[in-house]
Amino acid sequence: MSDSSGIRLENVSRAFKGRDTIVQALDNVSLDCPAGSFTALIGPSGCGKSTMLRLALGLDRPDSGTITVSGRDPAEAARAGLTGVAFQDAALMPWRNVADNIALPLDVLGRKRAEHAGTITDLIELVGLTGFEKALPGELSGGMRQRVAIARSLVTSPQVLFLDEPFGALDQILRRQMNLELQRIWIKSRATTLLVTHGIDEAVFLADRVVVMQSRPGRIGRVVDIPLERPRRPEIFTAPEFHALQDEVAEALDGH
Amino acid sequence: MATETARRRNTLRNAAIFLVLWEVIGDLRLVADGALPSPSAILIALWRDLADYPPHILATFEGAFAGFVIGNLVAVLAGILFAVSPVAARLGRGLNIALFALPPIAISPILVLTFSGMTPRIVLAAIGCYFVTMSATITGISQTDRRMLDVVRAYGGSRWKELRLVEIRAALPAILAGLRVAAPAAVLGSILAEFGGGGRFGLGAYLIGSLGRADPGRLWGIGLAATGMALIAYGICALIEARITHSTRAVNIAATAPGEERETRPVTDTLIALGSFALPFAIWWLLLKLMGTPEMIAKTPAGVVDYLFLAPSAPGAQSRLLAALAETLPMTIIGMAAGLAFAFLLALASVVRPGIVRGFMPIALVTQTMPLVALTPLLVLMLGRGPSVILWITISVTFFPAFVTLAQGLSMVTRGALDVVKAYGASPMTQLRLVSIPASLPWLFTATRLAVPRALLGVMIAEWLATGTGLGNLLNQSRGYLDYGMIWTVAVASVLLAVIFYQIVLIIERRVLRSYGMRPAD
Amino acid sequence: MNLSVNRRHFMGLMGAAASMPLMERAGFAADPFTFQASWINDAEFAGYFLAADKGYYADEGLELTYLSGGPDVIPESTIIAGKADLTLTTPDTTIKAIVDQGAPFKIIGAQYQKNPIGIVSLAKNPINEPKDLIGKTLAVPPVNVISVEAMLKISGVDRNEVNIVPYAYDPTPLIKGEIDASLDFTTNVPFTIEQAGEKATSFLLYDYGYTTFNDTVVVTEETLASKRKEIVAFLKASRMGWEENFKDPAASPPQFADSWFKGTGRSVENEIYFNTAQKPLMEAEGGIFAMSEEAIEANIKALAEVGISAKREHFDTTILEEL
Ligand SMILES: Nc1ncnc2c1ncn2[C@@H]1O[C@H](COP(=O)(O)OP(=O)(O)OP(=O)(O)O)[C@@H](O)[C@H]1O
Ligand SMILES: [Mg+2]
Repeated sequence: MSDSSGIRLENVSRAFKGRDTIVQALDNVSLDCPAGSFTALIGPSGCGKSTMLRLALGLDRPDSGTITVSGRDPAEAARAGLTGVAFQDAALMPWRNVADNIALPLDVLGRKRAEHAGTITDLIELVGLTGFEKALPGELSGGMRQRVAIARSLVTSPQVLFLDEPFGALDQILRRQMNLELQRIWIKSRATTLLVTHGIDEAVFLADRVVVMQSRPGRIGRVVDIPLERPRRPEIFTAPEFHALQDEVAEALDGH
Repeated sequence: MATETARRRNTLRNAAIFLVLWEVIGDLRLVADGALPSPSAILIALWRDLADYPPHILATFEGAFAGFVIGNLVAVLAGILFAVSPVAARLGRGLNIALFALPPIAISPILVLTFSGMTPRIVLAAIGCYFVTMSATITGISQTDRRMLDVVRAYGGSRWKELRLVEIRAALPAILAGLRVAAPAAVLGSILAEFGGGGRFGLGAYLIGSLGRADPGRLWGIGLAATGMALIAYGICALIEARITHSTRAVNIAATAPGEERETRPVTDTLIALGSFALPFAIWWLLLKLMGTPEMIAKTPAGVVDYLFLAPSAPGAQSRLLAALAETLPMTIIGMAAGLAFAFLLALASVVRPGIVRGFMPIALVTQTMPLVALTPLLVLMLGRGPSVILWITISVTFFPAFVTLAQGLSMVTRGALDVVKAYGASPMTQLRLVSIPASLPWLFTATRLAVPRALLGVMIAEWLATGTGLGNLLNQSRGYLDYGMIWTVAVASVLLAVIFYQIVLIIERRVLRSYGMRPAD
Repeated sequence: MNLSVNRRHFMGLMGAAASMPLMERAGFAADPFTFQASWINDAEFAGYFLAADKGYYADEGLELTYLSGGPDVIPESTIIAGKADLTLTTPDTTIKAIVDQGAPFKIIGAQYQKNPIGIVSLAKNPINEPKDLIGKTLAVPPVNVISVEAMLKISGVDRNEVNIVPYAYDPTPLIKGEIDASLDFTTNVPFTIEQAGEKATSFLLYDYGYTTFNDTVVVTEETLASKRKEIVAFLKASRMGWEENFKDPAASPPQFADSWFKGTGRSVENEIYFNTAQKPLMEAEGGIFAMSEEAIEANIKALAEVGISAKREHFDTTILEEL
């Protein structure tokens, strides 16, 4: 099956009843991320990006429409250990140290931690936290906590990866570095990836396609294909074709 | 840590000032013509009676410890069940409040009659622990940061995994706070059963023998021994809690989603409400049948209805009950408000002036472990036998669980939230006003719900011991007259009243919290 | 004294909240019999303790279990529930339970011929007779309020002129003058008051018309039928214990200091005072526990004053005849 590890949303709607208002977070949204693709989701704050992720993770149910992950119900896919996720805020457990927080998905899925000890060490190194294995989240900076969350999302070697603004709290240099690392990991693993971001450059650099959303009600405005060669090198950030694509996304964001 | 030692020094200094003051007051017989003995007089009495204590302390420890372990174990398991299953929680509500509101003076004779040996003590101690720890467990679990749960769910974690990996651990500080309150309650529960139960050893047994001696030094000595035991348990829980809270304190502001309106299903809801109401009665009936207590003594629900409405003596019983209620109810409402206000002020003070409150904790514990019957002479000498003695006794019975709950709420306010206002140079008062108080609103309501049944209990105790009015007196008199129908009626009436008050608070709580976009603490 | 009480021994002492199965003599197949006392261990029960220590119960073929009492132990309830065979009660509550609720009790003897409860006050502010109570504050255990009301009525004092408040075991408010008098065992409290450096004055309710027994010996009708032999044996042995005890009321309490009275927190001197003071209230022509026809008549009359319609048939004197 071609979409064996893809993400598919069909006519998905989700509304929230507030105290005295109704927010249409998603209105009839359809999106198809083929297996092994990298999709970036960009849009104004509050347009429903996190909501879409939560639906695809089975954390929430749509009012109407269907969602499948790897051809299965999202919750089922999660239980099977196919997915990985890093949330917008790190959501670390304050009583677990860095290594233990990274190992959490293994505990949830009932996998042996010992078998993944090497993976955990590698991931800690990847996110530049070597030496902080035993630190508690309360002792880390905001950016460090976010890096722990990124490492945690990768610990299960997921087939489908959801990232909700994972680099939001990082400085520009570190962010670039992490972008390169993510691309490297993605090329190696070919996990179907859905990345929510506010950075146009980041979206264009990493994604095959940038999905631009609009708010009130939350919907997909335009999809911009990014036909750049891989692996993309840091020099590309200054290339003219890169700028042209960035401008296209920015225009779409402005509602053109 | 210079500030730490300075803080310790301050606490010690406050305690020293306090002790010296007490000594002077006691030696000069300033309070109640010497009915309040000085610390040195208490210590001298303690030294004089030292040989008496070991078997009594050991016996009380056995009863209290067994009750503490059993009661809290059941409470935590029940709390988890109720947190996991809203239906179970709603079904169990009536039973829970009934257990909490049961006046020990009403059930102690029945326990003594149906069980023997240590069992009545263990049961009373366990009942003393149950409600506080059960509520604390629910509060702790339901206040768990939803985002942490999302992580587990995102990996398909089962309900059990959520509990095991996140919720139980996140609830630990709350549970430990509950255990802190439960510790003195267990000691007091055992002592109350010893006091009345006819056993020969235990601080309660020692107390009943000593009461007739008009020897305040002895009574305070016994109170001190009881408080010492509770203090050790309290201290152990507080220590563990401090370590855990340190690492648990949430890092970010928890913006828990208020959750959507639960669908109302009128039929199911009504059924559950009815079930919740009926469950305590069913268990009451079942227990009596199982234990085979004779019908004359053990009134079943039907027996109470018969006594109160159908029997020829019913009109008399009704009018006595109504007259007693008319005396008890107004005092209960006033007492509840006073107890809560005191607890709230104390909890705020513990944020603004932690040194003073820490110094006050030993006294607070004395009020929780010292059986009020031992303090009655002092209280009536100081306060007379009018409303003020009722009020003070009610405050002393009410404030402690409420205080610990509120202080817990205030301490759980997230660092991030406080940092926002601190960054603008907010004083501790402003921090309280802008962040801590609103953020601990769910705990304020939990505290209120804890205070309501206790207030009724406090009023009844005061009526029984000091004023000779109201439900408390009616209960005591019925005990003397072997008026079993009335004993059960008063017990049922007090439990029903507590449930009604509780429900009223619950409704207000739902309204207020919803308008603040918060979740109730359970 | 043996300080190294081992744990099992200690648990035995505490055992089943002070239920103390007393040793049986070798060779006897003793009948088990349980006695529920009406209060904690003090001189009020000295005769039973002595009878037990001297082996009188064993001699009568009984294996006695002695249950101490306390505020939450309602003696009548214990025998209805079958936890004890025989108990000591106050006659007013027992008869009220028979009359109002049809409780199957029989009064088969009386420990106190004269009820020891009385009005105790300080000598410096004395209450010498019921009329002195007018305008005063009197602390009364809620159970006894009807007895006081009867006494006031018999003495022609308006109940509303006396301020009655609850009495909670501790005489401190009386000593400090917060109340003017209290209702208590006159055999006991005056000692405490004197210990506190005051002089006490007291009078018995009995002497002002409330002519009742106290610590009436009560069994259920069922026990009376099924365990008659044991009841007789118990009363025989107990009577011997009391007679022995009263030979020298100062002699027995010290013997119990490390056994029966251990842990009660009361002093031996207090028990000697109690034991001495109760002697005249207990001794009767027909022997300890006797219930003469005149005394029963007086009880019925006094109880009628508080609205309890006692009848001769509530008292059963046939056991006494067998002693
Ligand atoms: N649990 C909820 N209850 C009520 N409203 C909600 C809830 N979750 C989201 N919303 C609303 O749905 C809309 C979309 O929210 P969402 O979190 O998906 O936005 P977003 O695109 O991720 O924004 P941002 O870029 O700021 O993270 C918002 O208007 C928000 O108020
Ligand atoms: Mg978002």
